[in-house]
Amino acid sequence: MGSLRTFIKSVRKAKTIADERAVIQKESAAIRTSFRDVSLDQTTRRINISKLVYLYIMGEKTHFGQVECLKLLASPRFADKRLGYLACMLILDENQEVLTLLTNSLDNDMQHPNAFVVGLALTCLGNIASPELARDLHADVEKILHSKNFYLKKKACFVAAKLVEKDPDLAEYFADKINDLINEKQPAVLLGTLRLIESLYLSSEPEQRMALLKTIPKIVGHLKRVTTSGYQPDYDVMGTSDPFLQVALLSTLRTLATDESCPAQYLEEINDILTQVASNIDSGKNAAHAILYECVKTIFSIQSDQSLKILGVNLLGKFLSTKDNNTRYVALDTLLAVINIEPLAVQRHRSTIVDCLSDGDISIRRRALELSFGILNEQNIRVLVREILTFLENCHDQELKPYITSQLTIAANKYSPNEKWHFDTLMRMLKVSGNSLTSDIVSNILALILQCNDGELKKHIVSKLFSLCLEDPEQYCLALITVWTLGEYGDLILGSTVEVNSKNVQVTEAAIVQLIEDLINKSTYSESETVQLVSYVLTAVIKLSIKFRDAQIIERLRLIINSRTRDNNLEIQVRAVEYQEIFAQDATLKKGLLARMPAPPIKQRESLTLNKTTGAKPKRAGGVASALGGTDDLLLDLMDDNNDTNTAHAAEPQQDVLMDIFGGSGAGQAQSTTTATNSNAAILDLFNAPPASAVGIGSSPSVSEIEAFTNSYIHVSFTPKSFPKDGHAIMEAVIRSNTNETISQFQLLIAVPKTQKLSISSTSGGDSLTPGGTPIRQVLKIVGKAGAKIKLRVKVKYSVSGNSVEEQFDFAGFPETL
Amino acid sequence: MAIHFLLILNRQGKTRLVKWFNNTYTTQTKQQYIQEIHRLINSRDSKHQSNFVEFYQNKLVYRRYAGLYFVCLVDLNDSELSYLESLHFLVEILDDYFNNVCEVDLVFNFYKLYFIIDELYLGGEIQQISKSKILNRLAVLDKLD
Repeated sequence: MGSLRTFIKSVRKAKTIADERAVIQKESAAIRTSFRDVSLDQTTRRINISKLVYLYIMGEKTHFGQVECLKLLASPRFADKRLGYLACMLILDENQEVLTLLTNSLDNDMQHPNAFVVGLALTCLGNIASPELARDLHADVEKILHSKNFYLKKKACFVAAKLVEKDPDLAEYFADKINDLINEKQPAVLLGTLRLIESLYLSSEPEQRMALLKTIPKIVGHLKRVTTSGYQPDYDVMGTSDPFLQVALLSTLRTLATDESCPAQYLEEINDILTQVASNIDSGKNAAHAILYECVKTIFSIQSDQSLKILGVNLLGKFLSTKDNNTRYVALDTLLAVINIEPLAVQRHRSTIVDCLSDGDISIRRRALELSFGILNEQNIRVLVREILTFLENCHDQELKPYITSQLTIAANKYSPNEKWHFDTLMRMLKVSGNSLTSDIVSNILALILQCNDGELKKHIVSKLFSLCLEDPEQYCLALITVWTLGEYGDLILGSTVEVNSKNVQVTEAAIVQLIEDLINKSTYSESETVQLVSYVLTAVIKLSIKFRDAQIIERLRLIINSRTRDNNLEIQVRAVEYQEIFAQDATLKKGLLARMPAPPIKQRESLTLNKTTGAKPKRAGGVASALGGTDDLLLDLMDDNNDTNTAHAAEPQQDVLMDIFGGSGAGQAQSTTTATNSNAAILDLFNAPPASAVGIGSSPSVSEIEAFTNSYIHVSFTPKSFPKDGHAIMEAVIRSNTNETISQFQLLIAVPKTQKLSISSTSGGDSLTPGGTPIRQVLKIVGKAGAKIKLRVKVKYSVSGNSVEEQFDFAGFPETL
Repeated sequence: MAIHFLLILNRQGKTRLVKWFNNTYTTQTKQQYIQEIHRLINSRDSKHQSNFVEFYQNKLVYRRYAGLYFVCLVDLNDSELSYLESLHFLVEILDDYFNNVCEVDLVFNFYKLYFIIDELYLGGEIQQISKSKILNRLAVLDKLD
């Protein structure tokens, strides 16, 4: 076997990947064979192990060498030990059984008279400590913490921090060392001490944390010393003195000062030193920015003075205007976190933020975008939305687009100065958004159009959509909305003229049908898009059939429907056949059936965030929670789920409506899990036949019915149906009316503990309760651990005489368990 | 908190150093990460893009020196700027130690590279911040070999 150098050379010499593999495999085999030799001398072993490390770097298998590494580090020679420990740190990790074999060597070496050997052992322990190793060896580390040798002391601090992290119970052994260690001025030891403080803080109970908080004045003192001390060649980075230490000091301060019981006088001291640090440093270099950045983060995580907060935001503003991408990146990131604390101060940097929207770096653009939405309000919406629309137009990131369109819709709903502007903005968005609208945003926009009461404006919307769609039929969501709107309101714009590509076009029945025919025959949409569009088109066509006068045009409409009665897609086919039937009906009946939809209530959507962090930026999480009105987590989960399913169903809102005309309750029951009657349910009811009586008749209240909730309007009870005791349970919820008024839009939302799973069937017989009518029944299925008690948190929503009511209660009254 | 792993890759994606401070990854994930990171970073424009990029709920901080990428993974709320500075610090030390370091130095002296890393970082934390202290230390240790 050759030397390490020859091996590396031959690997490098390999011309092809196959050659390289051959060389590696040959060497790997040779090393294995050599390891089997019981009388292997340490020099050969050392060469073998170094080759093994090389194999490791290349991503090859090295597990066969684990025991050999342990043998090598047990050698008395320093060179052997050094390589042995090195290989151990790489090839072994804390998950390996072999690690226990290491305990003894580490124990011996940490008590070795040679400080260098102790150093090796400490390094190894710090890198691959497992909870077991931590418990077995903490005493050695404790001893070394008292060493006079700075090098070892520093390492021991870091290792101690690691051990505490691995096993929080070890905190008690190290906690009392802090008082001595924190007086240490040696930068590296101080760095280790800070690390240990943070580690102890995170693994201690609140009572023990008090002792750690007492180090705050000391840390402030160190910070003062470092910032005011002059040039230190050893620790200087491009003119900034000791940036790493300053960053560590600030970061530890932040950890400690965010503690609830941090005394006010300490906070005052911290405020002072932060002001000092923030105003003392000449920015310009990365190292200086690193300190300032840490400073700003601290300012906004602790209770700091108003003036300090302003200073912080201004520092970030300064960051934003630098040329350095890294600095701008962190500035935007931090501003995002700060926006809820200091909205006004952030506002002031609006123009800089907007500039970043056109930055070369996508991650900067993304953050600038999110920030733009963050600072959006009534005053600046016109300016900002213009920028955001430009951004959307040039955006090629398919993942980002749905975020932009959703956010934009929400923001426009919230802040638009007037209705016309609102619709114009939405239409400008549709013009450039392609297929990037989520289905609930589409239905949201449709609902908005429905709700618009201003006749002139409505006309404006319809003709604008019509002309936009003629200009660019490639925009899928625009096409979808246009088709739908034409179906509802096509007659409004007949006879007017619209401008298409700066030419005037007369709106005639023929022109509308032509557009619809063009869209339906377009082949550039994906398959699922076509299916959805065709469903929209069919409904639009049937609706138009009563609005148009020209017999020839009406015949064209009928042909569109006929052409789909043999469609490959079942849903389309069913719909087309049904519509064909309606088409043949008598005109008065059709008028009633195909009348305009009444306006539904609009679903409120919460704004989204691009950032995936949870917990790291608590302000944002808080925002969401308050938006939901402090409902319990469980319920929140449930409602989220419901939203999702709603989204899926909302994709074809008006089809659902018409489906139900024919499908009756059968169609309703087909949607299994969601019971939440979405915004269209109201319309649904208009058409709905009286609740299917088959369900109600004969099912008189069973004896085992358990009352759960009652008020002056409704009465909710649960009937256990099946409890086979194998982790499954089936029960039925029965909702009766207690009043003489009609209760409509009834929704039952139920949450179970996270360990269980719940599925709810759809309501029997619609979502309204008439006086003396049949009750609403829903079947619940719960799956979970056998023997677990069933607890339900129930929220009921309904509207009675025009008011919507919401009630919540808990129910755990089932005598039997899962 | 702390660096999850440190990588040195060349532009072709060959690894010159891998050091996993966070040992919760499986061997498979490790190799997959290395490939993904190379693809991700290699496609980024060093002039117009920042040195930070999000990666599986964490953040990569990286910098290119000649044909080599120095990469580390840190938590989302860690200070990117100071880790970037520490990568530069590492490169300065390599430069002094190898006297104008180049890729071949790292290939043939990979074990020395690890020794240097171990003087600079411990368990993913920056443990020594004085260049001269580290270089002196390395000189002493090398003499003992």
